[in-house]
Amino acid sequence: MSDYLLLTSLWLVPLIGAGVVLCVPKGSERLVKYVATGFTAAGLLLALVALAIYVGDDRANAPLAERAAAIRVVSWPASEAMGAGDVDGNLVIRRDWIPAFNIQYYLGLDGISVSLLVLTGLVSLLACLASWGIEKQVRGYYALFLLLVASMTGVFLALDLFLFYVFFEVMLLPMYFLIAVWGGEEREYAAIKFLLYTLFGSVFILVAILILYFWPGDAPAGGFQAGTFDVVALTTIASTTGYYGRWIQDWVFVLFLVGFLVKLPSFPFHTWLPDAHVQAPTPISMILAGVLLKVGGYGLIRLAWPLAPAGAFDWSYVVAALGVFSILYGALAAMAQTDFKKLVAYSSISHMGYVTLGMAAMNLAGGSGYYAYGVNGAMYMMLAHGVTSAAMFFLVGVIYDRAHTRDLDSLGGLNDAMPVYGAMSYVIFFGSMGLPGLCGFVAEIFVVLAAFHYSVTLGVLAAAAVVLTAGYILWTIQRVFLGRNETWKDLPDLTAREIVIAAPLVVLTVLMGVFPQPLVLRWMSPSVDRVVQGVAEGSARNAAGPMAESRDAGPPQVARAR
Amino acid sequence: MPWQVGLYTAAVLIPLAAFLVEILFIRKLGRLNAAIATGAIAASCVLSAIGFFDYFLIEQRAALAEPAHHEAAALADAHAIHAGPLAWKGSFDWVVLGSPEAGRRLSLPLGVHIDGLAAILFLMVTFVATLIHVYSIGYMAEDPRYPRFFAYLSLFCFSMLGLVAASNLFMIFVFWELVGVCSYLLIGFWYEEKSNADAANKAFVVNRVGDVGMLIGLGILWSALGTFDFHEVSSGLRDAAGQLNVARPLTPADRVPFRGPDFHIGDWPTPSIAYGLLTLAGLGIFAGCAGKSAQFPLHVWLPDAMAGPTPVSALIHAATMVAAGVYLVARFFPVFTPEVLLTIAYTGGITLLIGATVAMVQTDYKKVLAYSTVSQLGFMMLALGVGGWSAGVFHLLTHAFFKALLFLGAGSVYHSVHTYEMSGLGGLRRRMPITAATMLVGVLAISGVPFFSGFYSKDAVLAAALARVWQSPEHALLFVLPVVGALLTTFYMFRMWFLVFAGAPRGFPDPHTARVAHARDEEGVLAAEEAEQGEGAPLHELNPAAHAHESEPVMTRPLILLATLSVFAGWTVWLGLPIGTPLLQRMIAHGEPAGAIDAHAAHGYALGASLLIVALGFGLSALYYAPAGLPFLPALRLSPIRAASRFRPLYALFKNKWYFDDLYDLALVRPCLRLAKACSGIDRHLIDGFVDGSARTVELLSRLGGLFDRFGVDGAVNTMAQAVYAAGDRARSIQTGRIRNYLMYLTLALIGLFAGVYAWVG
Repeated sequence: MSDYLLLTSLWLVPLIGAGVVLCVPKGSERLVKYVATGFTAAGLLLALVALAIYVGDDRANAPLAERAAAIRVVSWPASEAMGAGDVDGNLVIRRDWIPAFNIQYYLGLDGISVSLLVLTGLVSLLACLASWGIEKQVRGYYALFLLLVASMTGVFLALDLFLFYVFFEVMLLPMYFLIAVWGGEEREYAAIKFLLYTLFGSVFILVAILILYFWPGDAPAGGFQAGTFDVVALTTIASTTGYYGRWIQDWVFVLFLVGFLVKLPSFPFHTWLPDAHVQAPTPISMILAGVLLKVGGYGLIRLAWPLAPAGAFDWSYVVAALGVFSILYGALAAMAQTDFKKLVAYSSISHMGYVTLGMAAMNLAGGSGYYAYGVNGAMYMMLAHGVTSAAMFFLVGVIYDRAHTRDLDSLGGLNDAMPVYGAMSYVIFFGSMGLPGLCGFVAEIFVVLAAFHYSVTLGVLAAAAVVLTAGYILWTIQRVFLGRNETWKDLPDLTAREIVIAAPLVVLTVLMGVFPQPLVLRWMSPSVDRVVQGVAEGSARNAAGPMAESRDAGPPQVARAR
Repeated sequence: MPWQVGLYTAAVLIPLAAFLVEILFIRKLGRLNAAIATGAIAASCVLSAIGFFDYFLIEQRAALAEPAHHEAAALADAHAIHAGPLAWKGSFDWVVLGSPEAGRRLSLPLGVHIDGLAAILFLMVTFVATLIHVYSIGYMAEDPRYPRFFAYLSLFCFSMLGLVAASNLFMIFVFWELVGVCSYLLIGFWYEEKSNADAANKAFVVNRVGDVGMLIGLGILWSALGTFDFHEVSSGLRDAAGQLNVARPLTPADRVPFRGPDFHIGDWPTPSIAYGLLTLAGLGIFAGCAGKSAQFPLHVWLPDAMAGPTPVSALIHAATMVAAGVYLVARFFPVFTPEVLLTIAYTGGITLLIGATVAMVQTDYKKVLAYSTVSQLGFMMLALGVGGWSAGVFHLLTHAFFKALLFLGAGSVYHSVHTYEMSGLGGLRRRMPITAATMLVGVLAISGVPFFSGFYSKDAVLAAALARVWQSPEHALLFVLPVVGALLTTFYMFRMWFLVFAGAPRGFPDPHTARVAHARDEEGVLAAEEAEQGEGAPLHELNPAAHAHESEPVMTRPLILLATLSVFAGWTVWLGLPIGTPLLQRMIAHGEPAGAIDAHAAHGYALGASLLIVALGFGLSALYYAPAGLPFLPALRLSPIRAASRFRPLYALFKNKWYFDDLYDLALVRPCLRLAKACSGIDRHLIDGFVDGSARTVELLSRLGGLFDRFGVDGAVNTMAQAVYAAGDRARSIQTGRIRNYLMYLTLALIGLFAGVYAWVG
């Protein structure tokens, strides 16, 4: 399969699925479900193929910059045959799209994006299966669902800022309708809140993109001219030249940061999340927590840090402190909830704080070895949280379907009524709590260790969060599963379909916790390490840029706080 | 890699394999789980016995020789041996990330490191665990969750053995958390009762508080040294003479980032670690140990943990897991700065006093044992803190035997009388002779009666403390505390034995008391509620001790075996005569790190003190509690009730466990929950208030704009609009107002757009 076909069909197949679903005649809801599941499954299959190629083919897992450079952009109108400029099997393609503005149809995969792509495929498929209970306007639901999947996939594929932005915005629309139409009691408030918050963030991202596009340059950069949306080229420029000076990077970084922190979400831009989660139907919560939040993290690791490394360094203490604060704040707020789903939503905020912290723990003294742990931890947290949070929302949905309540104080004693459900929940909850041997631990320990190398104070605070996490998770387990409760003693245990949905996530939680290196890090971390290298180089270079003298900050090689 | 590494790896992994089989096929296997679990741990025990004998009888015979303390020359000899005790090592990198730095990449390793200490502990853990597995077959026979119990036990064994065999601090942390979660699952094993689930939560959360400290230690050491390996860390920090490279008292300069003299780990140049940071790391690691080993101020979870089944209390909360903290302090002894060691010693001292005083006034015999465990762990910590390395570890081992014995004995009693309340018991020695006799052995051992193992280890602890006080008399408290503690220990242990086994069965005064006493047992609450409703005959006997019966052999045999060990574990080659160093202590001392204290000169004094303590403690206990009074002065009696009223404030303090639970509830738990509510409130009112407010403002503005539009702009536009309206009217047929149709158009439009683009670029 040519790269062009593979990468394009990754996002196009779900989109076609959306169209097909709408064409299914009225009254055959079952068929709609089968068709939608088929298309989502095809999406997962394609993602796995991409992963297999990425892992197995040396052409594909070379540095992204090298692969991109090997490609000749085919100009428009294309006189050559399709694929003329591609290097087959390297998982990067680019075509002119709107040449007047130098906008390209530019897709590519590396370890970072391919891991999130597989996560998207998996969570989508499971969420699709979890949608079996939807009865209201089934065709519309599945069409929007597939549209959502298509746009999320596109975000992870795009290597052109403009294309990225298009996918990023398209994502909002189906999400808005899915919450506003199929949600709970307060769905309209939650949906509009989600939409406005995210649009608010998007503005910042757009401004950052435009600054990068129009900036005339602070220093010569070997013939480089602005006016490109090419992420790979901009990354190289940021890490190897002073074209974007320190001052401009500070601004670009903050703009990107705010935009993506809204999506992540991080304190203080997080209040859309609990509402959206509580109101969204179960499968949409799974997608929201499992994939959509990762778009924010992906934006940070792909754009914010690599495109403005010096800015990232200048802001690192603030951002790291914000991350720590988010961890603690989310955990505390989770502890205060009585709504099961809201509690899980707040735990997401807490966990996403580790992503921010891991990215920001930029002590580059004596090399970037420790920082690599931070960024890898952030990345691993996204995957681990994608698995556990999707599972947690699913498990909450299961109990809501049966008991029609999410009130933690009225639940209880479920362990006796539903032993399989209980056992699976224990694994997932402990995984989320960061118990060694399960996936959350790997991410947390990487980030916390890197945080200690950055600042002992922040490290101590981040470490202290494990008490709060244990507190709210165990208290939840107690209120839901332990004790004796006559009301729920006849609830049926998981059905076969529910086991099929939960089991892969449970298995992944364990496998990702026991075998992080062979399963994920082996192929993912080289890409992450390259980002780390680029950021380290870029921040070191630009600290001595034009604005360096006017600031009293020390050179970046020095540890900021000890 | 030596073959022993494989041996020990297998010994660690066998229980894991057993756990996986047991938990995955729990429905099919059912009661077979017990056999699988017991078989697995027995296999581990055999493997570790092979390793143990290989280490001490073949590879390191020198360990068995009497260490020479007297002459300086002999001391040097001993040090030559100490310089390199054998260790079998093997590890791999679980995770390696980042680019190489100075020729080495940062990694998180997993591996096995077996030296004398680990070999001894490994054997102790597997042996005690095997006995407790066997005992549980009888004790848990009636339980509906019998298969799950054994699955959890297997998981615990794996975690505990992994902890003992670990080659580095990171791996310790991993297994540290795993034993914690097993403990959580087993304390809350009868989770129907809220109090049990509460106890489980408390145990885990308090342990996690300690683990924060552990993470701090982990983070600081790793970010400064770049390695987790015990050997690399400790040998890197110590110079050739065994002195801490950065050893000196804290100075004001340590408050600012300070860099000590450079040192090297292997051939990898490392940035040095500031003395203050090393101290902080040491305190952090010790905080983790304090959590696991129930040291002040984190001791509050252990007594509550008795909510679990009694075999669990014996295995996890007496013999093995709670000793893990002591083990880690012993492992990290070379890394601790003098300030940290002093903190450890005082923490141990305070803990042993708190534990002993509370144990004195408990009326629940399992709680007496629980507080006695807290107290004994304090002894071990104190010993390590004063530098009595081998004394502390020695006491850990003897304690494991006699405390497991005492707990299993308590379980045997409970199994028969179904109450933990001592006030209604008494006279059980006639009905349960084996239990009574073995328990007596345990009591004699823990009290430190000569010829019983506890005597030798407690003597060693006292000697080490005394030697330390000789060095620096301003720390005299470090000797006073253990002496007082030892006295109290003898007192309350005999008190317990007298109350349960001696005299005649007392019975409960009325049905209500009996019910309350039984309600405290594990499954009793429901039964008590039923009785409250007046249905059927009273379920609980007024005099349970009168109808007690001895437990079945599957439970008594482990008791006998443990009783035997509780006697012999402290013996020297001279048949227990107090001549020379006990064999076991010699093996331990073989691996003693540099920096340990030489307590030999203090032994004579310590011996005298401990004999005096035993006599005094036993005498007092007999005066108050023995039915027959003192052996030769039966007329002389004292009343515990009078004593309680005379020392009312003290009695109240001890009875209320020094008010720690209330204090923590008031000072930590409630504020934390209030803070949580506050955070949630900030979200709802402050942030959302701002968000909603700005939304309303925008709405208002847009309305104003709308008014302006209608009257200002619209007038001009209306004419044009009419034309558009006409056009729009025709297009209206498309707008059917149904979401599905909108979506259809939206999707088709998008597909069209992308298809166009596709064709265009292609």
